Amino acid sequence: MAVKIVDLVKEFNGLKAVNGISLEIEEGELFGFLGPNGAGKTTTISILATLLKPTKGKAFVNGYDVVKEAEKVRRSIGIVFQDPSLDDQLTARENLDIHGRLYHMKKDERRKKIKEVLEMVDLIDRKDSLVKTFSGGMKRRLEIARGLMHSPKILFLDEPTLGLDPQTRRHIWDYIKKLNKEGVTILLTTHYMEEADFLANRVAIIDKGKIVAEGNPSQLKDAIGGDVVKIVCNKPKELQNLLSGIEVKNVEGTLMLNVQRAEEVIPKIFNISNKNGIEIKSITYKEPTLEDVFLHYTGRSYREEEGSEKDRIKMYMRARRR
Amino acid sequence: MIFDIYAIYLREMIRLTRSRVRLITTIVMPLLWLGVIGSAFNSAFRITMPVDFISFLTPGIMIMTMVFTGVISGITTVFDREFGFLKEMLVAPVKRESILIGKMMGGVTQAILQGIIIFILGLLMGVKIISSSIPIAIFGMLLTMLLVSMAFVSFGLAVASKMSSMEGFQMVMNFMIQPMIFLSGAFYPTSMLPGWLKGAVKLNPLTYGVDAMRYFFLGMNEFPIFADLSILAIFSVILIIIGGYLFRKS
Repeated sequence: MAVKIVDLVKEFNGLKAVNGISLEIEEGELFGFLGPNGAGKTTTISILATLLKPTKGKAFVNGYDVVKEAEKVRRSIGIVFQDPSLDDQLTARENLDIHGRLYHMKKDERRKKIKEVLEMVDLIDRKDSLVKTFSGGMKRRLEIARGLMHSPKILFLDEPTLGLDPQTRRHIWDYIKKLNKEGVTILLTTHYMEEADFLANRVAIIDKGKIVAEGNPSQLKDAIGGDVVKIVCNKPKELQNLLSGIEVKNVEGTLMLNVQRAEEVIPKIFNISNKNGIEIKSITYKEPTLEDVFLHYTGRSYREEEGSEKDRIKMYMRARRR
Repeated sequence: MIFDIYAIYLREMIRLTRSRVRLITTIVMPLLWLGVIGSAFNSAFRITMPVDFISFLTPGIMIMTMVFTGVISGITTVFDREFGFLKEMLVAPVKRESILIGKMMGGVTQAILQGIIIFILGLLMGVKIISSSIPIAIFGMLLTMLLVSMAFVSFGLAVASKMSSMEGFQMVMNFMIQPMIFLSGAFYPTSMLPGWLKGAVKLNPLTYGVDAMRYFFLGMNEFPIFADLSILAIFSVILIIIGGYLFRKS
């Protein structure tokens, strides 16, 4: 068991940032914490990384108690923080070297590992450049490399692509997938739906300090029911009446259907309309996203949660610093 | 533990070699003091004192530079906190004490280096060590420098632990450090001050640092050297304890 959390609670001045989370993560998993800003993801990861002490409950990482065996936990984990934590006055190699020293790695071991991790994130050519000359994506990659320096059993990634452009994000995703294939257990937090969907083989959706849903992303999406089909036609009311047996909503002239298998239902709709002289102007369907899953379990739309003005300013500053 | 301290110290030293601009700017002020103020008052001073003004001023400027450097290097922990590197250290399997000691040693090294640079500048300007034994003079100066820099690096750490931004820094410099330096006798003999200020001078721990430095360098002192060093040592230990405590707590 890579991670085991039992009834974890963390209060800040009476406010429950984490409110009774229980969770188990197996070795080799790529697990995602998904939730809006302030849902308690970073707090949970900070507790697992021994930076915060839980108010109540227990947490074990690689079998070690995060409170009683903090030093053993620290030795067995790698972490990439949400905020940049490199020393940008140092070169890439020096950052990794200091890290290796802090984890008591021998000289030869450090040298070997520095080469290995820098090659993995394609930064070997820049090993002697000062970190302050790096782009945001390069810094992120170097941080991931640093997290792996001491060969941890599990890597924590707190919002690994926050503030990065889409192309760089894609790049980082590839590295994360590659790592996991090589056997590193990964626990990542993200508030990007696509990220959790693309990367994680299991997600826990967190809202207001609680896990509201947990499972494989596609299973979660399947669980809330099939596809959403939208139809625009010249006689919506007639079509609605003809489509008996299917739940159809008429939203300002656009018909919305919730069906199990859209690809099988759509031809039938065409047949019915053709027979009855109804002209279909457009028909679209989409599979439910994790967004719909969030909506389903919390009763709130995810976008509304996308942070206050203050969070946005914070994000902006963070992006500038990269 | 030793390895951890060394790793953190090593980082500080690498940073030091990268910040040449900072090293140079911290020498400009002392140079102006020695070169301009020192020269201007040189002849006038000769009448009342056994040494010229540049000689008198050099130990004071050494102390001033070390105090500034020490406080600033202590305060760089704020940068570490703001720019996240502190987290990298906190999540590593090292003791908090190692981080603290490593950072302190880094600051002390930097401060003493600055002190030595001013010392050499003084010698180049014609200041002579006035002592019966040069080795004792050098050893004594190094000891004084060590005590003063330890005290003020800890002071910087304490301030940094209580401060959440760099804005408080100017306040601390203007309202605490500057008055301490002005009232320490670094720039003039304290006997020239009116009585009510003499009390403040005696309460100022820095006075004893300047006095000790001047004793070892020029063989002139207002207080017994034993008293100077004891007061400095006590002051330094108190600040290390406060700095260490606040740093751990933050």
